[in-house]
This record gives sequence, C-alpha cells and structure tokens, in this order.
Amino acid sequence: MTMKILKLLSVAFLFWQVPEAKALAPKDSAATYYEVENIPLPDGLIAETGAIGFMPDGRFVACFHRGEVMMYSPKTKKWKRFAEGLHDPLGVLVVNNHEILVMQRPELTRITDTDGDGEADDYQTVTDDFGLSGNYHEFAFGPIADKQGNLYISLNLASNGAGIRPEIRGKYDSLSRPGRMYSCVPYRGWVMKLGKDGKLKPFAVGFRSPNGLGFDAEGKLYVSDNQGDWLGTSKLFHVEEGKFYGHPAGLIWKEDFPRVVPITLPVAKLDSMRTKESIQFPHGYFANSPTQPVLDNTGGKFGPFSGQMLIGDMDHKYVIRLLMEEVDGAMQGACVPLSFGAKMRIGNNRLVFAPDGSLWVGQNDHGWAGARGIQRISWKGQTPLDVMAMNLTPKGFDLTFTLPVDKETALELANYKFRRFYYEYHQAYGSKQFDVQDVAVKSVVLSPDGKKVSLELAEMKPGYVYELKAGDITSENGNKSLINRLLCYSLNRLKK
Amino acid sequence: MIFKVSALCCPKINSYLPGILKQSLKVFLICAVTIFFLSNQTAFAQRDTTITLKVLGGLQFDLPRFAVRPNTKVTVILDNHDDMAHNVVFTKPNSRLKVVDEALKLGDKGAKMDYVPNSPLILAHTKILEPGRTESISFLIENEGIYPYVCTYPGHGYVMYGAMYATTKALPPLEKDLNVPEGQRLGTPNMADHSGHHMAPASPHPYPLEYPLLYRTFMPDCGPAAIAVALNPNESYCFDAGKCYLRYAWSGGFVDNTDHWKGNGNKLAKIVGSVYWKDETGFPFKAGKNQKIPTVHFKGYHLTKRLPAFRYMLDEISVSETVKLSAKGNGIIREFTFKNNPDVLFFTTGNPAGIKFTFSTGKYKNGVLEIPAGTARLTITSTRI
Repeated sequence: MTMKILKLLSVAFLFWQVPEAKALAPKDSAATYYEVENIPLPDGLIAETGAIGFMPDGRFVACFHRGEVMMYSPKTKKWKRFAEGLHDPLGVLVVNNHEILVMQRPELTRITDTDGDGEADDYQTVTDDFGLSGNYHEFAFGPIADKQGNLYISLNLASNGAGIRPEIRGKYDSLSRPGRMYSCVPYRGWVMKLGKDGKLKPFAVGFRSPNGLGFDAEGKLYVSDNQGDWLGTSKLFHVEEGKFYGHPAGLIWKEDFPRVVPITLPVAKLDSMRTKESIQFPHGYFANSPTQPVLDNTGGKFGPFSGQMLIGDMDHKYVIRLLMEEVDGAMQGACVPLSFGAKMRIGNNRLVFAPDGSLWVGQNDHGWAGARGIQRISWKGQTPLDVMAMNLTPKGFDLTFTLPVDKETALELANYKFRRFYYEYHQAYGSKQFDVQDVAVKSVVLSPDGKKVSLELAEMKPGYVYELKAGDITSENGNKSLINRLLCYSLNRLKK
Repeated sequence: MIFKVSALCCPKINSYLPGILKQSLKVFLICAVTIFFLSNQTAFAQRDTTITLKVLGGLQFDLPRFAVRPNTKVTVILDNHDDMAHNVVFTKPNSRLKVVDEALKLGDKGAKMDYVPNSPLILAHTKILEPGRTESISFLIENEGIYPYVCTYPGHGYVMYGAMYATTKALPPLEKDLNVPEGQRLGTPNMADHSGHHMAPASPHPYPLEYPLLYRTFMPDCGPAAIAVALNPNESYCFDAGKCYLRYAWSGGFVDNTDHWKGNGNKLAKIVGSVYWKDETGFPFKAGKNQKIPTVHFKGYHLTKRLPAFRYMLDEISVSETVKLSAKGNGIIREFTFKNNPDVLFFTTGNPAGIKFTFSTGKYKNGVLEIPAGTARLTITSTRI
C-alpha cells in the first residue's frame, strides 16, 4: 500500500517537476479506446465481402464475391458453408436462424435451410421484377426492412464503359443511353420498395451507384451514392417516396416524364427538380466511396455515439460518423471520421453491429482500392474526447463534445479553422471545389458545463460545405486530446 | 553512362565467368564497357515510340508493363474508356509509392492539381481524364531502368499501375515481375486445361467442389439471369432464369468463372468442354388450344442432394423442372411437374441434329409434343445418337 502511494507520488512529482513530461505520457489516440481484431478466415476464401449480418443465435453470416454464403461461430471460431452459387451477392437481411434474404445481381432471393442440416436447400425468388441488360455495372443492393416489414433495394445504373448483352431481361428503352451512366431497363437508378403483397414498386429515383441503404433511429431511410457524373462528390440522401435525387438517367422510368433524353434537360431544370443530399463527403481526402450506413443501436456498448449512424468508406482506415439534424424541415448535417487506430484496414464495404455491441466490418477490394477480410472493432470502455454533435445556429455552429473540454484550448479561436466551398451539380464526372474561402470565427463561447462551444462565423452561406479543421482541444483535465478533427457540414439550409 | 553500363554488366559477366578469369575481371570489364559503349552509338540512337495505354475496368491499365529502348522519345496516349476518372503519371525508378503518397497528401488541393504533386520524382503525367477522354504526353527516356507508371487519382494508386522498362534485354517472366500488379501478374489457374480429363479442377472456394454444382453467373447465349449447373465434373447445362427454359447442354467440363470474377464482372463465364445440344427453337411451351405464349415468372429452385429443381410459372400454371443425367450418361432427362394446367400444353423440341427425344406421355409430331390437359408429370429424355 505504502509502496503504491510512493509510486504514485513519485510519478506525480515527475510530472510536476517537468512540464514536458506530459509529452512523454502515451499519446492519446483512437487505439486507446477501440480494439481492432482480424477475424480468421477459412483457407481458400477470397474474402471480397459483399454482405454481412448476424443470425439470432449469434452466428455471423457473410456473403462473398464468388457467391459463397458462409457462417462463422464467434464461439467456436469455425466457418461453415450455408449457401453457394450466388451471383455477386451484395446485401443480406437475416430472417431467422435458418433463413436469410440475399440481394444478388439478378434477384432478391430467400435462402432457407429447410431440413435443418445447416446448409440451405431452398432458393426462392422473392423478386426479380427489374431489368438486367447484362451491363456489369448493374449491381443491386439491400434489402433493408422498415418497421412495417416493407423491403427496400437499390439498383445501379449501367456504365457506358461497356455495352449490354444481346439478350436482356425487361423492357428496353434507349432514351438515356447518351451519357456516362444509363438506365436502359427498368428501374435502373432507382430505390425500389417491395410491399408485403410481394409487388416491387419504384420508390425514388436519381441514383447512380447507391451502394448502401440504412434507417436511422426514427426510421428515416438513407441511401449513399458515389461521386461521378452528376455527383460532384459522394453523398448521403434522406430518401422519401416519389423524390428525385439528382442523376437524371433513371428519370425515363418515371410516370409522366416526357420523352426526352434526360441529360439534354437544362441543368437548372434538373437542379430545381432534385432533392439535395443530407451530407456531402468531400472527395479524396475525406471519403472516396462511402458504403453502408448503419445505426449504432448498441445502447452504449460501442461507446458514446449510440443513436447516431456510421458509414464505411472504401479508401479510408476509418468509418464515418454522421451528425444529422433537421433544419427548416430537411435533414442535413456533418460527417466526421471515427478512427479505430492503425490496425483498421481500408475497403470497409459492409458494417453490422454484433449482439455484444461490437462493430463487424466486411472488407472488399473488388475492382477498387480496398482490402479483403473481416474485422471486429470493440469499444474498450473509456470515453474519447470527440465531437458528439455539430448543430447549426443562426450565426454559426454549436459543437457538443463527449466530455467537458479544457477552457483554454476550447476558447482559442485558432483551434477552429473553417473553410467553405461547394461542389457543382453537373453532368461532368465529379467536381472541383468551387468558391473556396476561409471563414473567420468571430467568437467562441463555452457552456457552463464545459461540453459545448458556440462558434460565431463571419458568414453563413447556404449551398456550401463548411469544413472545420479543429486544433488540439483537450479535455478538462488535459489528459485527452480531440481525436477526430475534420468535420464537414453540408449547409443546405440556414437556421432561421 | 559508363557507370551505368558497368553496373548493369558486372553481375552478369561475373556469373558467366569461369573462376580463373575472375582475376582479370577488371581488364575484361573495361573492354566490355568499351565495346558496349561503342555499339551504343548505333543501337541507342534516339528513336520515337508511341504506346497506347487503355484503362480497363477494375482499376487496371491494359498494359501491365511495356518495354522501350533507352534513349527513346516515348509518346503515351492514355485512353480512358473506364467509367471513372483517371490519370497516368510516369515516375523515376522505385518512386511509385512515394509519388502516390505525395498525391494523397495534396488533400483538398488535389483535384485542382490533377492529383499530381510537384515532385522531382515525376517524369511526365497526363491530366485527370474523364471517362471517354484521351490525352497524349511525350517525354525522353535516356537511361536504362524500370520506370513505374501509376494513376494517382485518390484510391487508385495502390492498385492501378504498371512498369515501363527501358532496356534492350528480355523482360523477367510476367508472373515473377513484382513491378506489375498482383492480379495482372498472377492471373489464376486456367480450369480449361482440365477439360476432357476426369481430374476435378481446384476449388476456387473455401470448400472442395461437390457435384451437382451450380453457379448463377453471366453465360454466353443466354439471358443475363443465367444458371450454370454441373451434374458431374463432365456434364453440364445452362438454364435461363429470366426466360425460364433450358438453353443448352455440354460435355467435357463445367464453367470457368475466372474472368467473370476478376475485374468488373463484364466478362462471361467460359464453357469448359463442348456444347452438344442447344435449344434453337426458343421458349418451348405454348398454352391452350390457341397455342398462346405464356407469361413466365421464375420462382427459384430447391436442392435435393444438391440437384436443383427449378420452379416457374407459365401464366397460372406452376411448373417444376429437374434435369438429370440419363442412366447411360449419353443424354439428359428433363422431369416436369405441372399444377393448375386444365388445358393442353405444347412443347417444341425442334429437330436438332444428333439428338433423339422420347417422352413419358403426350403426342409427338413434327418436333412438337402435345401434353394432355391435367398432366401432372412429364419426362423428356434427349439422347445423343
């Protein structure tokens, strides 16, 4: 006991005596808070992961590019085949311990182990009521289920990097063939809703490569899309029935849409028709190819961000946290990296929370920079210093932190560097950042509880991304540093 | 120049020399260098070469490497037929990853700079080319060496690259060339080599192959919702899950999905073996006395000991179809069951050469089988003659 106190005292003395000693202490980093574990893979597996999920009994299920559906028992650490022979499965929804729904290229399939031997023997076509031209880019994603039991899937456009096949499925229409990405069979470029009556209906249009669907805590549907033609940067949309989200090719399947080549419509006209994204992910340095949005529904088992959504990215060793809010009747907000440390790989195509609250990530590098495999990320129980919320105010932003912050660093204006810019909505592939300007922070006020700073900015202009690079803000006691410091808020609407 | 040549010649000469001559190596080298240098006067006269680099899907250049002679004015035409934007950057030897890292560090400034850093390691580069664009660049390569080329668009640089050899010598074998991306270097074992043999191909999965075996994949001469089934390692068929009928059957192997699985998925699976029967008459069923072409809906399949029974609808008629190998192995048996078929059905076989059909029920005339109303089961056997 005495020894312990002596030890503590000597450590305290060391720190007191040498101010620099603080720097000698292990640096506060993401790895302090999260553990990343590589899940062992079976021999012979090319782990290009297309879909992952958890069975009610705790088994992990994963679909891979070569058509395998494999089950992994976290208890025994053994893999077992559940199904095979699928065509590029890119989504799974678990029904029960014997049954899953899988989205593969040609159809949504109910895959069931009817005889209880652990391997599927029945593959029921749930819906194939959409077109296939045979163009390689016509990937299909989903399904996810809403609270009423309706299912949602999303259908990629075709790419003019390749043609179509001599035999196709569905009605052919060449109207949108001009342009980079096209929709020559129904309902390419759409999010589709499958009602309980088994009928697949067009739900919303204007997507290019919507590789991820998810619901937030309130049941709002979000769909990600990838930078390209008509997408200046990658985006996340709040998707509602009947709306148009920007890529014009799929419009040809919209009822009452005139017989015109969509890309010949004036951009201003298309722009006025579209519903803007909730979040833009600045291309390159923030995200290249965002993937699947998932809700942290762990009730705190994965750290302090329960109730928020996360999304993966193909090219960054982090997932992205989505800080959304309703402003003037529409959802908008910020994205911020959630780092887990150096062990995290890139290629984070699919995300799912395990029953124990750990996050499982399925990685893919198919035709894209990425990685292969499965990683499990668990929270170690300590709260990192992070931005919990970024809320728009009439004159700037409020940042709410996970912990009370150090007054001195939090009130330092230089610790909040804002820039703003916009990405253009146009036919060209991607967009540079236009009208880039630094935005001065005029004042910073810290709340009495030390957890919120209110920033007043020199200018708030709608239609811009406000990018914040935060400095070395520390926690109240000085021993924690803000870990994720890049926040990009899509300011579509001002707060009135 | 002399240093360069001697550096290249030394190990080679050394390894070829009998031990006794090694003492006079210095003298020998000087001679060799002189001869080499003199011969260069003609061999290394500046020349022009034009190379077209196409972008394939899946972040690949069509040429994983190419060779020019030293002292060449190289013109590279980058032809971007992909659906993503790309550039190409030629770097000094051993500098690809450094340049890729520098490009990534450009951060938000990258787009304006075509993702090309200001770096002394870069020899030449194109702009970022949108899909469908081409650009030509020219530069002089004086010295022998291996010059990497790479797309520095964010995320591409670690996989989308190749190597320009400036050399007069033979290149190392492609499969051992670490300057080439792994996918293009290694390829994958070609299952086609096994056709005609009874040796089962190596499994591309984390389990051994078992038969019957099924893949949903892109097949030739079929709609895009195709199912390839191997009844055993040698006998296979293709079912069209869009149009709901058997398209063709083949012998000698199954399918090779290597090319389809690689890259962007545009390539078809390859048939291993030879097709001995193909349905040339189109969708076989007609319904009712008026011989209406029914609307079809694919409903899935059930596996019994791995053998699939396909389910589909012909208007309101439920059909299941199981394809089996005949007992002698010289044909296939198609077993149908029907439900809710109060009217007559017609099934067209046509008269394909080398195939004899037999039927468990119905009247067969001029290549058309009339299936009586209410038939619950039908077997069609096609035998190779």
